[in-house]
Amino acid sequence: MLAKLLGVLVDNRWWRGLVSRLTLLYAVVSLLLSAGIAYSTLTIARDRLGSNFEETAIRQLEENAAEVRLGLQGLPEANDPETAGEILNSIDSKLTHTDASDSLLVLEGIGARLTNRSEAEIPAELSAKLNTVDAAGMYYSFGNEPRFIAGVRMTNSNPDGGADYYEIHSLVELEGTLEDLRQILIGAAIVSSVLGAAIGYYAAKRSLAPIRRISTASKDIADGNFQTRLDMQSDPDLAILSSSFNGMVDELKAKIERDQRFTSDVSHELRSPLMTLRASVDLLERKESELPETLQQAIQLIGQDVHRFEQLVEDLLEISRMDAGAVQLQVSNINLLEFLSQVVKQSPTPDIEVVALDSSETVIIAADKRRLAQVFSNLISNAAKYGGGAQRITYRQISSTVQITVEDEGPGVPPKERQQIFERFSRGAADAGNRQSGTGVGLGLSLVKEHLNLHGGNVWVTDRYDSKPGARFVVELPVGDIDELEGELAV
Amino acid sequence: MRGLALTTILTIEDDERIRRLVTLALKEEGWDVDEAATGEQALELFADQGKTHDVVLIDIMLPGIDGFAVCRSIRKASDVPIIMVTARADTHDVVAGLEAGADDYLTKPFAGKELSARIRAMLRRARSPEASSLDRISVGELEISPDEGIVLKEGEELHLTKTEFKLLVELSSQPGKIFSREVLLERVWGYDYFGDGRLVDVHIRRLRTKVEQDSANPRYVVTCRGLGYKLVP
Repeated sequence: MLAKLLGVLVDNRWWRGLVSRLTLLYAVVSLLLSAGIAYSTLTIARDRLGSNFEETAIRQLEENAAEVRLGLQGLPEANDPETAGEILNSIDSKLTHTDASDSLLVLEGIGARLTNRSEAEIPAELSAKLNTVDAAGMYYSFGNEPRFIAGVRMTNSNPDGGADYYEIHSLVELEGTLEDLRQILIGAAIVSSVLGAAIGYYAAKRSLAPIRRISTASKDIADGNFQTRLDMQSDPDLAILSSSFNGMVDELKAKIERDQRFTSDVSHELRSPLMTLRASVDLLERKESELPETLQQAIQLIGQDVHRFEQLVEDLLEISRMDAGAVQLQVSNINLLEFLSQVVKQSPTPDIEVVALDSSETVIIAADKRRLAQVFSNLISNAAKYGGGAQRITYRQISSTVQITVEDEGPGVPPKERQQIFERFSRGAADAGNRQSGTGVGLGLSLVKEHLNLHGGNVWVTDRYDSKPGARFVVELPVGDIDELEGELAV
Repeated sequence: MRGLALTTILTIEDDERIRRLVTLALKEEGWDVDEAATGEQALELFADQGKTHDVVLIDIMLPGIDGFAVCRSIRKASDVPIIMVTARADTHDVVAGLEAGADDYLTKPFAGKELSARIRAMLRRARSPEASSLDRISVGELEISPDEGIVLKEGEELHLTKTEFKLLVELSSQPGKIFSREVLLERVWGYDYFGDGRLVDVHIRRLRTKVEQDSANPRYVVTCRGLGYKLVP
């Protein structure tokens, strides 16, 4: 149980937080302090009360013993028990007592007198002690009652021998007082450590408030909200931190904007010349048959590269739009089967079959048709490039999502590359020996992922179901339609 | 004066090289081309030539008056088919261009083949008389004559553009039947499955402002949520 609790504490590491640690520290310190004070208070009180009590008890014993000794002088002459009884009664009336003490006179050969207490209540240790000293006292407990007993031995004060005079004090009340005090002090210690913890928590919170604000601001900025600034100029201790933090954000913002603008500007600038190139190549291609063989080949090469170039520029523009958060999805309701069939029909491999797995109902998704088409044509061309062509495309609705898979019979994607291939400009090892013209530029799959993320979906690659060699790309998208006509016109 | 048979296209584009290549590509198709570098020049040319252009191609980003204004001016004077050229497909530009009266749009960079295909689709729409089995379709107060290209509302002729007219005729070919956007895109614009549904939406909206009493609560051209549009008989 305890091990489990400790495990939880270690696992959660809540105590590693600055606030928790400070709170704990304050609580421990105030607990130690108050416990120390309580302990010494209690010790001192016990000592004082104890020695006070002993002094009083001994004085009383001495006075009473003197009376007893005096009274006992007449005892040897009293031969009859009646007279002896009177003597004892007169002694008793002369004794002074506190409420918590009783006298006990033990006469050798006669027994206990003056009291309702019995000889058995006298610890043997004390009577033994009186053999060596005249007077002694000790603490002991009788039954459960804490007691103090003091005794005096009077020799030859009895016809039959000596007499011992004892006084028994009950310490119940004294101990009760000390117990009350102890409880009060423990209570005070608990209260003060709770207060200490509260003060520690409050102080830690107060002094950590700026750090909290900085971390909130940093998180904001990391999330791309560059409007966030710190406002702590009023506190001279934090003004420098605040202004350098804000300066850093300004610079970061400017840098990111510069980078984004650069990509976007460059791509835009590349577009116009590309358009001229494209159109010129189109014209040349149309007149290809009129040109000599070598020129025809040259034109084909240019044509392919212009196409690649266009694709790259478009991808870069799309990526810079994504970075700038400027992508506006044109969402409409799409019948998945119809959509996938159309994508396949327009791809270079229109024979790929599209299969709905155990789904008799029409699957409708709300998505940007043009961008989603790009996602699947990228996956199809990826399969063509690296996997010997897509085998088939299947989809299956799983509660509120639909999983669409594109399978190929290529070498597959090794597990350690399965994350990496979706990063920008990354190429798997498969590319090493596959750099013929027309291959992608490493943006295709990253765009696939980012487009799907914009749609609230995801993509990953695994092994094939049938464990044959090959890759299986799985696209997951939320199912559901939107109130599209209204949404569309609200643009 | 031009020969009557020759198709003339007015292209408005400030980038000289793009203008030249557009001209080159269009001339390859056997069409005549009028070039304008600014909106002002284009409007002048359009008026001078007696508004005889068969198709107008307008780049939105123009110095001086922008493409939207040029489009509105031309649309006010004529129902000539207009194609807008925009830099991006996913911005408000497309909808704004269609609202300004454009019939279709192209995004840069476009291939010559794509441009000619769009223009050919436009020309087909503008020229071919509707081969409808019915000479006349009556829907409420509307009377549509596909052959003559006339729509009467309470006996008065409505001024519809060629695209709006074609859209109305398609819908009226089977009154009450729901036409999906894909079908309308294919039949009116000649697009495949991946055409932009906003073309249909904006044209439907414009059509409503002409045929409906209250275009916010259409009586004839009705939206079927999630499915498409239909003409209510």
